[in-house]
Amino acid sequence: MTEYAVVAEGLVKKFGSVTAVAGVSFKVRYGEIFGFLGPNGAGKTTTIHMLATLLKPTAGDAWVAGHHIVKESDAVRRSIGVVFQDPSLDSELTAYENMYIHGKIYGMGGEELRYRIEEMLRFVELYEHRNRLVKYFSGGMRRRLEIARALLHKPKVLFLDEPTLGLDPQTRAHIWEYIKRLRDEGGVTIFLTTHYMDEAEELCDRLAIIDHGKIIAEDTPNQLKRLVGSDIIYLKVRAVNGAPNSCDALSAPPVMECKPLREGMVALKVSDATQAIPVILERAASMGLRVAEVSYRKPTLNDVFLYLTGREIREEEGSEADFLKHVIRMRRFRRR
Amino acid sequence: MSRTLDPFVIMAYRQFRRFLRTKARVVTSILNPIIWIAFFGLGWANAFNFPMAKAIFGGVDYLTFLTPGVTAMAVFTASFIGGVTVIWDKQFGFLKEVLVAPASRTGIILGRIFGDAVIAVLQGLAIMALSFAIAHNLNPYGILPALAYAFILALGFTSAGVALALKMTSMEGFQMVISLLMMPLIFLSGAFYPIKFMPGWMKWVAYINPLTYAVDGMRHYLSGVSTFNPLTDLAVLCIITAAFMALASRLFKKATID
Ligand SMILES: Nc1ncnc2c1ncn2[C@@H]1O[C@H](COP(=O)(O)OP(=O)(O)O)[C@@H](O)[C@H]1O
Ligand SMILES: [Mg+2]
Repeated sequence: MTEYAVVAEGLVKKFGSVTAVAGVSFKVRYGEIFGFLGPNGAGKTTTIHMLATLLKPTAGDAWVAGHHIVKESDAVRRSIGVVFQDPSLDSELTAYENMYIHGKIYGMGGEELRYRIEEMLRFVELYEHRNRLVKYFSGGMRRRLEIARALLHKPKVLFLDEPTLGLDPQTRAHIWEYIKRLRDEGGVTIFLTTHYMDEAEELCDRLAIIDHGKIIAEDTPNQLKRLVGSDIIYLKVRAVNGAPNSCDALSAPPVMECKPLREGMVALKVSDATQAIPVILERAASMGLRVAEVSYRKPTLNDVFLYLTGREIREEEGSEADFLKHVIRMRRFRRR
Repeated sequence: MSRTLDPFVIMAYRQFRRFLRTKARVVTSILNPIIWIAFFGLGWANAFNFPMAKAIFGGVDYLTFLTPGVTAMAVFTASFIGGVTVIWDKQFGFLKEVLVAPASRTGIILGRIFGDAVIAVLQGLAIMALSFAIAHNLNPYGILPALAYAFILALGFTSAGVALALKMTSMEGFQMVISLLMMPLIFLSGAFYPIKFMPGWMKWVAYINPLTYAVDGMRHYLSGVSTFNPLTDLAVLCIITAAFMALASRLFKKATID
Protein backbone atom coordinates (compact mmCIF):
# COMPACT_ATOMS: atom_id res chain seq x y z
CA MET A 1 0.00 0.00 0.00
CA THR A 2 2.83 2.38 0.81
CA GLU A 3 4.29 2.48 -2.68
CA TYR A 4 1.05 4.08 -3.90
CA ALA A 5 0.02 7.67 -3.33
CA VAL A 6 -3.61 6.87 -4.01
CA VAL A 7 -5.41 3.54 -3.90
CA ALA A 8 -9.13 3.36 -4.69
CA GLU A 9 -11.11 0.17 -4.37
CA GLY A 10 -14.63 0.09 -5.72
CA LEU A 11 -15.50 3.68 -4.89
CA VAL A 12 -19.20 4.41 -5.37
CA LYS A 13 -21.08 7.65 -4.85
CA LYS A 14 -24.82 8.00 -5.25
CA PHE A 15 -26.78 11.22 -4.97
CA GLY A 16 -30.28 9.96 -4.36
CA SER A 17 -31.13 8.00 -7.48
CA VAL A 18 -28.19 9.40 -9.47
CA THR A 19 -25.06 7.25 -9.46
CA ALA A 20 -22.24 9.73 -10.01
CA VAL A 21 -19.41 7.24 -9.48
CA ALA A 22 -20.23 3.59 -10.15
CA GLY A 23 -17.36 1.68 -8.58
CA VAL A 24 -13.90 2.86 -9.60
CA SER A 25 -10.65 1.19 -8.63
CA PHE A 26 -7.19 2.47 -9.49
CA LYS A 27 -3.74 3.06 -8.07
CA VAL A 28 -1.53 6.12 -8.40
CA ARG A 29 2.21 5.72 -7.89
CA TYR A 30 4.26 8.23 -5.97
CA GLY A 31 5.76 10.91 -8.18
CA GLU A 32 3.64 10.35 -11.25
CA ILE A 33 0.95 12.44 -12.89
CA PHE A 34 -2.18 10.36 -13.05
CA GLY A 35 -5.19 11.64 -14.96
CA PHE A 36 -8.89 11.05 -15.14
CA LEU A 37 -10.08 11.80 -18.66
CA GLY A 38 -13.78 11.86 -19.37
CA PRO A 39 -16.68 13.95 -20.58
CA ASN A 40 -18.78 16.26 -18.43
CA GLY A 41 -20.79 14.40 -15.83
CA ALA A 42 -18.51 11.35 -15.93
CA GLY A 43 -17.89 11.52 -12.18
CA LYS A 44 -14.44 13.11 -12.08
CA THR A 45 -15.22 15.89 -9.63
CA THR A 46 -17.18 13.56 -7.38
CA THR A 47 -14.19 11.20 -7.25
CA ILE A 48 -11.85 14.04 -6.29
CA HIS A 49 -14.25 15.21 -3.61
CA MET A 50 -14.32 11.73 -2.11
CA LEU A 51 -10.53 11.39 -2.19
CA ALA A 52 -10.19 14.85 -0.65
CA THR A 53 -12.50 13.81 2.24
CA LEU A 54 -15.25 16.28 1.33
CA LEU A 55 -17.77 13.60 0.38
CA LYS A 56 -18.31 10.24 2.04
CA PRO A 57 -18.35 7.37 -0.44
CA THR A 58 -21.58 5.39 -0.62
CA ALA A 59 -19.43 2.28 -0.90
CA GLY A 60 -15.82 1.30 -1.40
CA ASP A 61 -12.55 2.35 0.17
CA ALA A 62 -9.67 4.58 -0.70
CA TRP A 63 -6.32 5.51 0.79
CA VAL A 64 -4.43 8.69 0.09
CA ALA A 65 -0.77 8.81 1.12
CA GLY A 66 -1.46 5.64 3.06
CA HIS A 67 -4.39 7.03 5.05
CA HIS A 68 -7.99 5.90 4.80
CA ILE A 69 -10.16 8.70 3.44
CA VAL A 70 -12.99 8.19 5.95
CA LYS A 71 -11.33 6.73 9.03
CA GLU A 72 -8.22 8.92 8.87
CA SER A 73 -9.61 11.97 7.13
CA ASP A 74 -7.49 14.36 9.17
CA ALA A 75 -4.26 12.64 8.14
CA VAL A 76 -5.45 12.66 4.52
CA ARG A 77 -6.16 16.38 4.72
CA ARG A 78 -2.67 17.03 6.02
CA SER A 79 -1.18 15.16 3.05
CA ILE A 80 -3.05 16.80 0.19
CA GLY A 81 -3.44 20.06 -1.69
CA VAL A 82 -6.54 20.63 -3.77
CA VAL A 83 -7.35 22.92 -6.67
CA PHE A 84 -11.08 22.65 -7.09
CA GLN A 85 -12.86 22.85 -10.42
CA ASP A 86 -14.78 25.91 -9.24
CA PRO A 87 -13.00 28.96 -7.85
CA SER A 88 -12.26 28.87 -4.12
CA LEU A 89 -10.26 32.03 -3.44
CA ASP A 90 -11.37 34.88 -1.24
CA SER A 91 -11.62 37.63 -3.83
CA GLU A 92 -11.96 40.41 -1.26
CA LEU A 93 -8.43 39.65 -0.10
CA THR A 94 -5.07 40.11 -1.80
CA ALA A 95 -3.06 37.26 -3.26
CA TYR A 96 -0.67 37.43 -0.32
CA GLU A 97 -3.49 37.41 2.24
CA ASN A 98 -5.04 34.36 0.60
CA MET A 99 -1.72 32.56 0.87
CA TYR A 100 -1.10 33.74 4.41
CA ILE A 101 -4.50 32.62 5.67
CA HIS A 102 -4.05 29.25 4.02
CA GLY A 103 -0.65 28.81 5.67
CA LYS A 104 -2.00 29.72 9.08
CA ILE A 105 -4.93 27.36 8.74
CA TYR A 106 -2.44 24.63 7.89
CA GLY A 107 -0.42 25.40 11.00
CA MET A 108 2.48 27.21 9.34
CA GLY A 109 3.89 30.47 10.57
CA GLY A 110 6.74 32.88 11.03
CA GLU A 111 9.71 33.18 8.73
CA GLU A 112 9.09 29.76 7.18
CA LEU A 113 5.61 30.79 6.03
CA ARG A 114 6.77 34.12 4.63
CA TYR A 115 9.58 32.42 2.73
CA ARG A 116 7.34 29.71 1.37
CA ILE A 117 4.65 32.19 0.24
CA GLU A 118 7.25 34.16 -1.65
CA GLU A 119 8.67 31.00 -3.20
CA MET A 120 5.29 29.76 -4.38
CA LEU A 121 4.11 33.16 -5.64
CA ARG A 122 7.33 33.40 -7.64
CA PHE A 123 6.82 29.89 -8.95
CA VAL A 124 3.48 30.87 -10.52
CA GLU A 125 4.81 34.32 -11.46
CA LEU A 126 2.41 36.27 -9.29
CA TYR A 127 4.89 37.77 -6.86
CA GLU A 128 4.60 41.21 -8.45
CA HIS A 129 0.84 41.03 -7.96
CA ARG A 130 0.94 39.84 -4.37
CA ASN A 131 -0.72 42.93 -2.93
CA ARG A 132 -3.53 43.19 -5.45
CA LEU A 133 -7.05 42.15 -4.57
CA VAL A 134 -7.92 38.83 -6.15
CA LYS A 135 -11.17 40.24 -7.52
CA TYR A 136 -9.12 42.17 -10.07
CA PHE A 137 -7.28 39.01 -11.23
CA SER A 138 -7.92 37.33 -14.58
CA GLY A 139 -9.13 33.74 -14.71
CA GLY A 140 -5.61 32.49 -15.42
CA MET A 141 -4.09 34.45 -12.56
CA ARG A 142 -6.67 33.07 -10.15
CA ARG A 143 -5.92 29.55 -11.29
CA ARG A 144 -2.20 30.07 -10.81
CA LEU A 145 -2.79 31.48 -7.35
CA GLU A 146 -4.92 28.47 -6.48
CA ILE A 147 -2.12 26.17 -7.59
CA ALA A 148 0.41 28.11 -5.51
CA ARG A 149 -1.90 28.00 -2.53
CA ALA A 150 -2.50 24.27 -2.85
CA LEU A 151 1.28 23.70 -2.84
CA LEU A 152 2.04 26.07 0.03
CA HIS A 153 1.99 23.46 2.79
CA LYS A 154 4.05 20.97 0.72
CA PRO A 155 1.40 18.31 0.18
CA LYS A 156 2.39 14.79 -0.85
CA VAL A 157 -0.50 14.56 -3.28
CA LEU A 158 -1.86 17.42 -5.35
CA PHE A 159 -5.38 17.17 -6.77
CA LEU A 160 -6.14 19.33 -9.79
CA ASP A 161 -9.76 19.28 -10.96
CA GLU A 162 -9.84 20.49 -14.57
CA PRO A 163 -6.87 22.82 -14.05
CA THR A 164 -7.26 24.71 -17.32
CA LEU A 165 -11.02 24.69 -17.74
CA GLY A 166 -12.19 27.70 -19.70
CA LEU A 167 -8.75 29.29 -20.03
CA ASP A 168 -7.24 30.63 -23.26
CA PRO A 169 -4.58 28.55 -25.06
CA GLN A 170 -1.57 30.60 -23.89
CA THR A 171 -2.64 30.45 -20.28
CA ARG A 172 -3.26 26.73 -20.58
CA ALA A 173 0.21 26.14 -21.99
CA HIS A 174 1.60 28.21 -19.14
CA ILE A 175 -0.16 26.14 -16.50
CA TRP A 176 1.01 22.95 -18.18
CA GLU A 177 4.57 24.21 -17.79
CA TYR A 178 4.10 24.60 -14.04
CA ILE A 179 2.60 21.14 -13.74
CA LYS A 180 5.44 19.56 -15.69
CA ARG A 181 8.01 21.40 -13.63
CA LEU A 182 6.39 20.07 -10.47
CA ARG A 183 6.76 16.54 -11.74
CA ASP A 184 10.33 17.07 -12.87
CA GLU A 185 11.37 18.61 -9.58
CA GLY A 186 9.80 15.63 -7.83
CA GLY A 187 8.29 15.43 -4.43
CA VAL A 188 4.64 15.70 -5.33
CA THR A 189 2.25 13.21 -6.86
CA ILE A 190 -0.40 14.76 -9.08
CA PHE A 191 -3.90 13.48 -9.64
CA LEU A 192 -5.68 15.55 -12.26
CA THR A 193 -8.95 15.40 -14.10
CA THR A 194 -9.66 16.84 -17.49
CA HIS A 195 -11.98 16.55 -20.42
CA TYR A 196 -9.31 17.92 -22.76
CA MET A 197 -7.53 15.21 -24.75
CA ASP A 198 -4.53 17.39 -25.43
CA GLU A 199 -4.13 18.10 -21.75
CA ALA A 200 -4.29 14.43 -20.80
CA GLU A 201 -1.83 13.60 -23.56
CA GLU A 202 0.56 16.39 -22.66
CA LEU A 203 0.67 15.87 -18.92
CA CYS A 204 -0.29 12.39 -17.80
CA ASP A 205 2.15 9.57 -17.22
CA ARG A 206 -0.83 7.29 -16.89
CA LEU A 207 -4.48 7.91 -17.25
CA ALA A 208 -7.85 6.36 -16.72
CA ILE A 209 -10.65 7.04 -19.15
CA ILE A 210 -13.87 7.46 -17.24
CA ASP A 211 -17.39 7.48 -18.60
CA HIS A 212 -20.72 7.28 -16.76
CA GLY A 213 -18.94 6.80 -13.45
CA LYS A 214 -16.87 3.83 -14.63
CA ILE A 215 -13.26 3.45 -15.69
CA ILE A 216 -13.30 1.99 -19.19
CA ALA A 217 -9.55 1.93 -19.83
CA GLU A 218 -6.39 2.67 -17.90
CA ASP A 219 -2.83 2.91 -19.20
CA THR A 220 -0.16 5.28 -20.49
CA PRO A 221 -1.38 7.61 -23.25
CA ASN A 222 0.79 5.76 -25.79
CA GLN A 223 -0.49 2.34 -24.81
CA LEU A 224 -4.05 3.59 -24.96
CA LYS A 225 -3.51 4.98 -28.44
CA ARG A 226 -2.08 1.64 -29.49
CA LEU A 227 -5.56 0.25 -28.88
CA VAL A 228 -6.67 1.96 -32.06
CA GLY A 229 -3.52 1.22 -34.08
CA SER A 230 -0.63 3.33 -35.21
CA ASP A 231 -2.74 5.10 -37.86
CA ILE A 232 -6.46 5.31 -38.09
CA ILE A 233 -8.42 5.79 -41.32
CA TYR A 234 -11.96 7.07 -41.38
CA LEU A 235 -14.02 6.10 -44.42
CA LYS A 236 -17.50 7.21 -45.26
CA VAL A 237 -19.08 4.54 -47.40
CA ARG A 238 -22.29 4.76 -49.41
CA ALA A 239 -24.00 1.41 -49.52
CA VAL A 240 -24.66 0.32 -53.06
CA ASN A 241 -27.33 -2.33 -53.70
CA GLY A 242 -26.02 -5.84 -53.28
CA ALA A 243 -22.70 -4.77 -51.77
CA PRO A 244 -21.53 -6.58 -48.65
CA ASN A 245 -21.36 -4.95 -45.23
CA SER A 246 -18.41 -2.57 -45.43
CA CYS A 247 -16.45 -4.05 -42.53
CA ASP A 248 -16.85 -7.56 -43.92
CA ALA A 249 -15.55 -6.30 -47.23
CA LEU A 250 -12.62 -4.33 -45.89
CA SER A 251 -11.32 -6.50 -43.06
CA ALA A 252 -8.22 -7.91 -44.70
CA PRO A 253 -4.57 -6.81 -44.51
CA PRO A 254 -3.41 -4.05 -44.32
CA VAL A 255 -6.54 -3.40 -42.23
CA MET A 256 -5.93 -4.76 -38.75
CA GLU A 257 -9.35 -4.00 -37.42
CA CYS A 258 -12.53 -2.42 -38.71
CA LYS A 259 -15.07 -0.75 -36.50
CA PRO A 260 -18.40 0.57 -37.80
CA LEU A 261 -19.35 4.00 -36.46
CA ARG A 262 -22.49 6.00 -37.13
CA GLU A 263 -23.95 6.92 -40.53
CA GLY A 264 -21.91 4.70 -42.79
CA MET A 265 -18.63 5.76 -41.23
CA VAL A 266 -16.04 3.11 -40.45
CA ALA A 267 -12.76 3.35 -38.57
CA LEU A 268 -9.89 1.22 -39.87
CA LYS A 269 -6.86 0.40 -37.81
CA VAL A 270 -3.69 0.18 -39.96
CA SER A 271 0.03 0.49 -39.41
CA ASP A 272 0.76 2.93 -42.25
CA ALA A 273 -2.11 4.93 -43.69
CA THR A 274 -0.31 6.39 -46.71
CA GLN A 275 0.34 2.92 -48.09
CA ALA A 276 -2.92 1.39 -46.96
CA ILE A 277 -5.32 3.96 -48.43
CA PRO A 278 -4.80 3.10 -52.14
CA VAL A 279 -5.18 -0.60 -51.38
CA ILE A 280 -8.34 -0.02 -49.42
CA LEU A 281 -9.87 2.26 -52.04
CA GLU A 282 -9.20 -0.30 -54.75
CA ARG A 283 -10.70 -3.08 -52.70
CA ALA A 284 -13.77 -1.00 -51.86
CA ALA A 285 -14.31 -0.26 -55.55
CA SER A 286 -13.98 -3.90 -56.52
CA MET A 287 -16.49 -4.88 -53.82
CA GLY A 288 -19.02 -2.34 -55.08
CA LEU A 289 -18.69 0.10 -52.19
CA ARG A 290 -18.72 3.78 -53.02
CA VAL A 291 -16.36 5.80 -50.82
CA ALA A 292 -17.60 9.33 -50.16
CA GLU A 293 -14.93 10.59 -47.79
CA VAL A 294 -11.51 9.49 -46.58
CA SER A 295 -9.37 10.95 -43.87
CA TYR A 296 -6.69 9.59 -41.61
CA ARG A 297 -4.79 10.67 -38.59
CA LYS A 298 -2.40 9.52 -35.98
CA PRO A 299 -4.68 8.30 -33.23
CA THR A 300 -5.37 10.74 -30.45
CA LEU A 301 -7.00 10.04 -27.14
CA ASN A 302 -10.18 11.23 -28.78
CA ASP A 303 -9.97 8.25 -31.13
CA VAL A 304 -9.46 6.02 -28.15
CA PHE A 305 -12.57 7.38 -26.52
CA LEU A 306 -14.48 7.07 -29.79
CA TYR A 307 -13.20 3.51 -30.16
CA LEU A 308 -14.23 2.57 -26.62
CA THR A 309 -17.59 4.31 -26.43
CA GLY A 310 -18.69 5.11 -29.98
CA ARG A 311 -18.95 8.74 -28.88
CA GLU A 312 -16.56 11.67 -28.84
CA ILE A 313 -15.66 13.69 -25.81
CA ARG A 314 -17.21 17.00 -26.58
CA GLU A 315 -14.71 19.79 -26.59
CA GLU A 316 -15.43 23.47 -26.55
CA GLU A 317 -12.35 24.30 -28.57
CA GLY A 318 -11.47 22.40 -31.72
CA SER A 319 -7.97 21.83 -30.45
CA GLU A 320 -7.57 18.43 -32.03
CA ALA A 321 -7.92 20.05 -35.46
CA ASP A 322 -4.14 20.44 -35.41
CA PHE A 323 -3.70 16.71 -35.39
CA LEU A 324 -5.93 16.12 -38.39
CA LYS A 325 -4.27 15.34 -41.64
CA HIS A 326 -6.19 16.04 -44.78
CA VAL A 327 -6.01 13.50 -47.58
CA ILE A 328 -8.79 13.82 -50.05
CA ARG A 329 -11.26 16.08 -48.45
CA MET A 330 -11.53 17.06 -44.89
CA ARG A 331 -14.75 17.28 -43.08
CA ARG A 332 -15.21 17.34 -39.35
CA PHE A 333 -17.28 14.47 -38.08
CA ARG A 334 -20.74 15.44 -37.16
CA ARG A 335 -21.05 16.02 -33.46
CA ARG A 336 -23.83 14.54 -31.47
CA MET B 1 -3.17 23.91 21.01
CA SER B 2 -2.07 25.92 18.00
CA ARG B 3 -4.09 23.58 15.85
CA THR B 4 -7.17 25.26 17.33
CA LEU B 5 -5.75 28.64 18.18
CA ASP B 6 -4.11 29.45 14.83
CA PRO B 7 -7.30 28.87 12.80
CA PHE B 8 -9.25 30.82 15.43
CA VAL B 9 -7.00 33.86 15.22
CA ILE B 10 -6.62 33.76 11.44
CA MET B 11 -10.34 33.43 10.77
CA ALA B 12 -11.11 36.34 13.09
CA TYR B 13 -8.44 38.32 11.25
CA ARG B 14 -9.92 37.37 7.91
CA GLN B 15 -13.43 38.49 8.92
CA PHE B 16 -11.92 41.82 9.96
CA ARG B 17 -9.98 42.27 6.76
CA ARG B 18 -13.00 41.52 4.63
CA PHE B 19 -15.24 43.77 6.66
CA LEU B 20 -12.94 46.73 6.27
CA ARG B 21 -12.99 46.20 2.52
CA THR B 22 -16.75 45.88 2.14
CA LYS B 23 -17.74 49.38 3.04
CA ALA B 24 -21.35 48.90 2.01
CA ARG B 25 -21.85 46.62 5.00
CA VAL B 26 -20.50 49.20 7.45
CA VAL B 27 -22.64 51.96 6.04
CA THR B 28 -25.94 50.06 6.00
CA SER B 29 -25.56 48.53 9.40
CA ILE B 30 -24.69 51.85 11.06
CA LEU B 31 -27.13 53.94 9.07
CA ASN B 32 -30.19 52.04 10.18
CA PRO B 33 -29.86 52.66 13.92
CA ILE B 34 -28.92 56.29 13.25
CA ILE B 35 -32.19 56.68 11.40
CA TRP B 36 -34.06 55.13 14.31
CA ILE B 37 -32.43 57.41 16.85
CA ALA B 38 -32.82 60.52 14.73
CA PHE B 39 -36.31 60.16 13.30
CA PHE B 40 -38.00 57.91 15.83
CA GLY B 41 -36.14 58.95 18.95
CA LEU B 42 -36.02 62.72 18.51
CA GLY B 43 -39.64 62.81 17.35
CA TRP B 44 -40.98 60.88 20.33
CA ALA B 45 -38.65 62.66 22.72
CA ASN B 46 -40.52 65.85 21.97
CA ALA B 47 -43.93 64.17 22.26
CA PHE B 48 -42.92 62.78 25.67
CA ASN B 49 -41.55 66.11 26.81
CA PHE B 50 -43.96 66.60 29.74
CA PRO B 51 -43.37 65.99 33.46
CA MET B 52 -45.52 62.84 33.80
CA ALA B 53 -43.83 61.10 30.88
CA LYS B 54 -40.74 60.09 32.81
CA ALA B 55 -42.88 57.80 34.96
CA ILE B 56 -43.70 55.72 31.86
CA PHE B 57 -40.03 55.06 31.22
CA GLY B 58 -39.06 54.23 34.77
CA GLY B 59 -38.00 57.76 35.67
CA VAL B 60 -35.81 58.78 32.75
CA ASP B 61 -36.45 60.86 29.63
CA TYR B 62 -37.30 59.04 26.41
CA LEU B 63 -33.92 59.40 24.67
CA THR B 64 -32.16 58.02 27.72
CA PHE B 65 -34.60 55.13 27.69
CA LEU B 66 -34.39 54.53 23.95
CA THR B 67 -30.69 54.82 23.08
CA PRO B 68 -29.41 51.71 24.93
CA GLY B 69 -32.17 49.76 23.20
CA VAL B 70 -31.15 51.04 19.77
CA THR B 71 -27.52 50.23 20.55
CA ALA B 72 -28.51 46.66 21.38
CA MET B 73 -30.58 46.58 18.21
CA ALA B 74 -27.60 47.73 16.13
CA VAL B 75 -25.39 44.98 17.58
CA PHE B 76 -28.13 42.40 17.14
CA THR B 77 -28.80 43.33 13.49
CA ALA B 78 -25.13 43.47 12.54
CA SER B 79 -24.36 40.11 14.12
CA PHE B 80 -27.41 38.23 12.87
CA ILE B 81 -26.92 39.49 9.30
CA GLY B 82 -23.20 38.66 9.55
CA GLY B 83 -24.10 35.04 8.79
CA VAL B 84 -24.50 36.14 5.19
CA THR B 85 -20.71 35.91 4.80
CA VAL B 86 -21.05 32.15 5.21
CA ILE B 87 -23.45 32.10 2.25
CA TRP B 88 -20.97 34.16 0.24
CA ASP B 89 -18.23 31.71 1.14
CA LYS B 90 -20.42 28.87 -0.07
CA GLN B 91 -21.19 30.62 -3.32
CA PHE B 92 -17.68 31.87 -4.01
CA GLY B 93 -16.14 28.56 -2.99
CA PHE B 94 -13.96 29.68 -0.09
CA LEU B 95 -15.89 27.35 2.21
CA LYS B 96 -14.42 24.33 0.36
CA GLU B 97 -10.91 25.64 0.94
CA VAL B 98 -11.65 25.72 4.66
CA LEU B 99 -13.45 22.38 4.80
CA VAL B 100 -10.58 20.54 3.15
CA ALA B 101 -8.05 21.89 5.65
CA PRO B 102 -6.70 19.70 8.46
CA ALA B 103 -7.42 22.43 11.02
CA SER B 104 -9.82 22.20 13.92
CA ARG B 105 -13.28 23.00 12.63
CA THR B 106 -14.25 24.34 16.04
CA GLY B 107 -11.31 26.72 15.96
CA ILE B 108 -12.24 27.92 12.50
CA ILE B 109 -15.90 28.56 13.14
CA LEU B 110 -15.41 30.09 16.59
CA GLY B 111 -12.70 32.39 15.22
CA ARG B 112 -15.02 33.55 12.53
CA ILE B 113 -17.85 34.07 15.03
CA PHE B 114 -15.52 35.96 17.36
CA GLY B 115 -14.33 38.22 14.52
CA ASP B 116 -17.83 39.02 13.37
CA ALA B 117 -19.00 39.58 16.94
CA VAL B 118 -16.24 42.12 17.56
CA ILE B 119 -17.21 43.86 14.33
CA ALA B 120 -20.84 44.00 15.46
CA VAL B 121 -19.83 45.44 18.85
CA LEU B 122 -17.72 48.11 17.14
CA GLN B 123 -20.79 49.15 15.19
CA GLY B 124 -22.72 49.24 18.46
CA LEU B 125 -19.96 51.41 19.89
CA ALA B 126 -20.50 53.93 17.08
CA ILE B 127 -24.19 54.08 17.94
CA MET B 128 -23.35 54.41 21.61
CA ALA B 129 -21.12 57.39 20.88
CA LEU B 130 -23.95 59.00 18.97
CA SER B 131 -26.31 58.24 21.88
CA PHE B 132 -24.07 60.09 24.32
CA ALA B 133 -24.08 63.07 21.98
CA ILE B 134 -27.86 63.44 21.94
CA ALA B 135 -29.10 61.88 25.20
CA HIS B 136 -27.66 63.75 28.17
CA ASN B 137 -28.55 61.50 31.06
CA LEU B 138 -26.63 58.37 30.08
CA ASN B 139 -24.10 57.04 32.56
CA PRO B 140 -20.55 56.92 31.12
CA TYR B 141 -19.54 54.36 33.78
CA GLY B 142 -22.08 52.03 32.24
CA ILE B 143 -20.25 51.86 28.91
CA LEU B 144 -17.94 48.97 29.74
CA PRO B 145 -20.51 46.65 31.30
CA ALA B 146 -22.96 47.51 28.50
CA LEU B 147 -20.30 46.59 25.93
CA ALA B 148 -19.78 43.28 27.70
CA TYR B 149 -23.50 42.52 27.38
CA ALA B 150 -23.38 43.66 23.76
CA PHE B 151 -20.48 41.29 23.09
CA ILE B 152 -22.28 38.29 24.54
CA LEU B 153 -25.34 39.22 22.50
CA ALA B 154 -23.17 39.54 19.38
CA LEU B 155 -21.53 36.13 19.93
CA GLY B 156 -24.97 34.58 20.29
CA PHE B 157 -26.57 36.05 17.23
CA THR B 158 -23.50 35.75 15.03
CA SER B 159 -23.62 32.05 15.90
CA ALA B 160 -27.34 31.94 15.14
CA GLY B 161 -26.75 33.65 11.79
CA VAL B 162 -23.87 31.29 10.95
CA ALA B 163 -25.94 28.25 11.93
CA LEU B 164 -28.82 29.43 9.76
CA ALA B 165 -26.49 30.18 6.84
CA LEU B 166 -24.93 26.72 7.08
CA LYS B 167 -28.38 25.22 6.65
CA MET B 168 -29.41 27.54 3.81
CA THR B 169 -28.24 27.29 0.24
CA SER B 170 -29.45 30.55 -1.26
CA MET B 171 -28.86 34.17 -0.38
CA GLU B 172 -32.56 34.90 -0.90
CA GLY B 173 -33.66 32.18 1.51
CA PHE B 174 -31.27 33.43 4.17
CA GLN B 175 -32.36 37.03 3.78
CA MET B 176 -36.01 36.04 3.90
CA VAL B 177 -35.68 34.14 7.17
CA ILE B 178 -33.57 36.89 8.70
CA SER B 179 -35.96 39.67 7.78
CA LEU B 180 -38.95 37.63 8.95
CA LEU B 181 -37.35 37.21 12.38
CA MET B 182 -35.61 40.54 12.73
CA MET B 183 -38.51 43.00 13.05
CA PRO B 184 -40.63 41.04 15.56
CA LEU B 185 -37.58 40.33 17.71
CA ILE B 186 -36.66 44.02 17.72
CA PHE B 187 -40.16 45.29 18.48
CA LEU B 188 -40.75 42.68 21.15
CA SER B 189 -37.51 43.35 22.99
CA GLY B 190 -38.57 46.43 24.92
CA ALA B 191 -36.09 48.57 22.94
CA PHE B 192 -38.70 51.17 21.97
CA TYR B 193 -41.24 50.97 24.80
CA PRO B 194 -41.35 49.33 28.22
CA ILE B 195 -42.38 45.70 28.39
CA LYS B 196 -44.74 46.32 31.27
CA PHE B 197 -47.14 48.25 28.99
CA MET B 198 -47.31 45.45 26.43
CA PRO B 199 -50.50 43.37 26.14
CA GLY B 200 -50.26 40.05 27.99
CA TRP B 201 -49.39 37.82 25.04
CA MET B 202 -46.75 40.25 23.80
CA LYS B 203 -45.14 40.25 27.21
CA TRP B 204 -44.72 36.51 26.99
CA VAL B 205 -43.08 36.75 23.63
CA ALA B 206 -40.79 39.45 25.01
CA TYR B 207 -39.85 37.16 27.90
CA ILE B 208 -38.68 34.41 25.58
CA ASN B 209 -36.89 36.84 23.24
CA PRO B 210 -33.12 36.75 23.92
CA LEU B 211 -32.73 40.33 22.71
CA THR B 212 -34.95 41.51 25.60
CA TYR B 213 -32.26 40.56 28.11
CA ALA B 214 -29.52 42.39 26.23
CA VAL B 215 -31.65 45.53 25.97
CA ASP B 216 -32.57 45.30 29.64
CA GLY B 217 -29.04 44.71 30.85
CA MET B 218 -27.52 47.45 28.73
CA ARG B 219 -30.25 49.85 29.79
CA HIS B 220 -29.59 49.03 33.42
CA TYR B 221 -25.99 50.16 33.15
CA LEU B 222 -26.44 53.07 30.76
CA SER B 223 -29.78 54.56 31.89
CA GLY B 224 -30.19 53.15 35.37
CA VAL B 225 -33.60 51.57 34.72
CA SER B 226 -34.42 47.94 34.07
CA THR B 227 -37.16 45.34 34.23
CA PHE B 228 -35.07 42.43 35.47
CA ASN B 229 -32.08 41.97 37.70
CA PRO B 230 -28.99 42.56 35.48
CA LEU B 231 -27.54 39.28 36.69
CA THR B 232 -30.66 37.51 35.44
CA ASP B 233 -30.14 39.25 32.10
CA LEU B 234 -26.52 38.10 32.07
CA ALA B 235 -27.37 34.52 32.95
CA VAL B 236 -30.07 34.25 30.27
CA LEU B 237 -27.80 35.81 27.63
CA CYS B 238 -24.94 33.50 28.49
CA ILE B 239 -27.09 30.39 28.30
CA ILE B 240 -28.62 31.37 24.96
CA THR B 241 -25.27 32.39 23.49
CA ALA B 242 -23.63 29.17 24.61
CA ALA B 243 -26.46 27.21 23.00
CA PHE B 244 -26.19 29.04 19.67
CA MET B 245 -22.40 28.72 19.65
CA ALA B 246 -22.67 25.01 20.33
CA LEU B 247 -25.21 24.67 17.52
CA ALA B 248 -23.06 26.57 15.01
CA SER B 249 -19.96 24.50 15.92
CA ARG B 250 -21.88 21.28 15.64
CA LEU B 251 -23.32 22.16 12.24
CA PHE B 252 -19.92 23.27 10.98
CA LYS B 253 -18.22 20.10 12.21
CA LYS B 254 -20.66 18.04 10.21
CA ALA B 255 -20.59 20.32 7.17
CA THR B 256 -19.74 18.70 3.85
CA ILE B 257 -20.20 19.98 0.37
CA ASP B 258 -23.28 18.86 -1.52
N1 LIG C 1 -24.45 17.14 -5.30
C1 LIG C 1 -24.98 16.44 -6.33
N2 LIG C 1 -26.27 16.07 -6.31
C2 LIG C 1 -26.80 15.35 -7.30
N3 LIG C 1 -26.13 14.96 -8.39
C3 LIG C 1 -24.84 15.29 -8.49
C4 LIG C 1 -24.18 16.06 -7.47
N4 LIG C 1 -22.89 16.24 -7.82
C5 LIG C 1 -22.74 15.63 -9.01
N5 LIG C 1 -23.90 15.07 -9.41
C6 LIG C 1 -24.10 14.29 -10.64
O1 LIG C 1 -23.14 13.28 -10.68
C7 LIG C 1 -22.63 13.12 -11.99
C8 LIG C 1 -21.14 13.28 -12.00
O2 LIG C 1 -20.81 14.63 -11.75
P1 LIG C 1 -19.33 15.15 -11.63
O3 LIG C 1 -18.58 14.32 -10.67
O4 LIG C 1 -19.39 16.61 -11.35
O5 LIG C 1 -18.78 14.90 -13.09
P2 LIG C 1 -17.53 15.55 -13.85
O6 LIG C 1 -16.69 16.26 -12.84
O7 LIG C 1 -16.85 14.38 -14.47
O8 LIG C 1 -18.07 16.48 -14.87
C9 LIG C 1 -23.37 14.11 -12.86
O9 LIG C 1 -24.43 13.43 -13.48
C10 LIG C 1 -23.88 15.13 -11.89
O10 LIG C 1 -25.07 15.69 -12.35
MG1 LIG D 1 -16.08 18.18 -12.86
